[in-house]
Amino acid sequence: MDIGKILENLWEGSGYNLFGKDGGWQSIVMIIIALFFLYLGIKKKFEPLLLVGIAFGMLLTNLPALDGDKLFHPDWWTVSDIDYLEILRHGGLLDILYIGVKTGVYPCLIFMGVGAMTDFGPMLSRPSSLILGAAAQGGIYLVLILAAATGMYSGGEAASISIIAGADGPTAIFLTKELAPQLLPAIAVAAYSYMALIPLLQPPFMKLLTTKKERMTVMAATRKVSKKEKIIFPILVTIVVGLLLPSVAPLLGSLMFGNLLKECGVTERLSDTAQNALMNIVTLFLGISVGATAVGTTFLSAKTLVIIVLGLAGFVLATICGLLIGKLLYVISKGKINPLIGSAGVSAVPMAARVSNTVGLQYNKGNYLLMHAMGPNVAGVIGSAVAAGFLLAVFG
Amino acid sequence: MNDLILSGILKKDDPLSVVDALILAAIGIVIVFVVLIALMLIVSLVGKIFDSSDALQQKHPEWGQKVNDFKAKLMFWKKAQPAEEAPAEEVPALANGTCGELTLVNTSERDAAMIMAIVADSTGTPLNELRFKSIKLIEEEQK
Repeated sequence: MDIGKILENLWEGSGYNLFGKDGGWQSIVMIIIALFFLYLGIKKKFEPLLLVGIAFGMLLTNLPALDGDKLFHPDWWTVSDIDYLEILRHGGLLDILYIGVKTGVYPCLIFMGVGAMTDFGPMLSRPSSLILGAAAQGGIYLVLILAAATGMYSGGEAASISIIAGADGPTAIFLTKELAPQLLPAIAVAAYSYMALIPLLQPPFMKLLTTKKERMTVMAATRKVSKKEKIIFPILVTIVVGLLLPSVAPLLGSLMFGNLLKECGVTERLSDTAQNALMNIVTLFLGISVGATAVGTTFLSAKTLVIIVLGLAGFVLATICGLLIGKLLYVISKGKINPLIGSAGVSAVPMAARVSNTVGLQYNKGNYLLMHAMGPNVAGVIGSAVAAGFLLAVFG
Repeated sequence: MNDLILSGILKKDDPLSVVDALILAAIGIVIVFVVLIALMLIVSLVGKIFDSSDALQQKHPEWGQKVNDFKAKLMFWKKAQPAEEAPAEEVPALANGTCGELTLVNTSERDAAMIMAIVADSTGTPLNELRFKSIKLIEEEQK
């Protein structure tokens, strides 16, 4: 037995040795970034449920390994005709988990859980909320123009970057895996990071664009929504939007199915599973497999940096668009609608609605805007899904 | 003329010009607004239908009564179907361990349950091993 040969082989196959080979320094940088994200998720609690998974996937995928030992093979996923049989036979753990992202299953299942957790009542009691949900999607299209103006991205890439402004993780992943899978890690990280930063990002613009009088506006209680209305709504949305934009039917259909499970009152067990067990399992798989795509050789580029900047611009522009239409509704309603709820049109549920409530309370103690802001907030989820459906229809 | 107008559809791998992006953005935001405004109108309409139906019921309570009467008639008609079509009336099964049936005379079920529990407790016999045939309220004057 040649002990020297065994030790030499062990060294040759070890990650420590591979750090010195091609792409080694990128792996080191990516591991540092992964550790930073872990810090943000665990210590700062920035979207920890997803960020911890993403960061750990990032860490795993950037540990250098020989081809046969790799957990994730990015090259297998960029070809036009993916060989799923080969992936199942020889793929690493993260390759197998990534199938759910690539096929769009995870975002849809997450949306099913989101639907089961969402109460559309505030939106149904004030249908004008839907206009605010639509307005905030202006940020998506403004970022599309900005991305095109940089000249760095293809149409599919620009569309995928623009959807960050929708502040909706599953929708961003659903669109990006189709139009620009190579940008998925950067876009997912940007989307979830900025969603976590909404309490810091939105208030300065909310204060800048509204007057003190507007911010102090107390909104009247809305009508009570019947159970029948809540049951009819998800069915109606599925039919109306699914017929117009079939490309988004899987995503919106899942959202509405989850909501129907919650509202119909005869499927409590399924609703409970969708919003708890299933949601948690899919969040686990989604986070770690999206993080796995952040391979140093592709992630560390000027494109990623510009995506981070455009994503930030997108969140700000979406907030501004929502606020401006909120101000318009304030005028039209003769001061009955507080424009602060406009910023909740970005679909980060329920974070954006909470921010509207917090800012409102700062100027008028006892002015609770949360339920009023939940209307535009959930309308924003539908709005961003419609925007994604349109972009998929154009580029897909 | 730009690619968008020429081809009518864009390729995801082709570069996107600013003009194309502007046109796309304009169409996209219009579509988002059209869809959500359509939903808003539908939601408002459904809400109005439900509200007016509630208001009508409050304004004309006799209409609600008529609906209830009709439902009652419907139920009566269903019950009046031939016996062979109607499902046999279910006899509630006795709980495990019960000993026969109990006749209550001028006694509520609550009082009977209390009496049986007290007897079981004071005799130290499990309730399902005791057999009560009847529980009768004895009036004062009968003493």
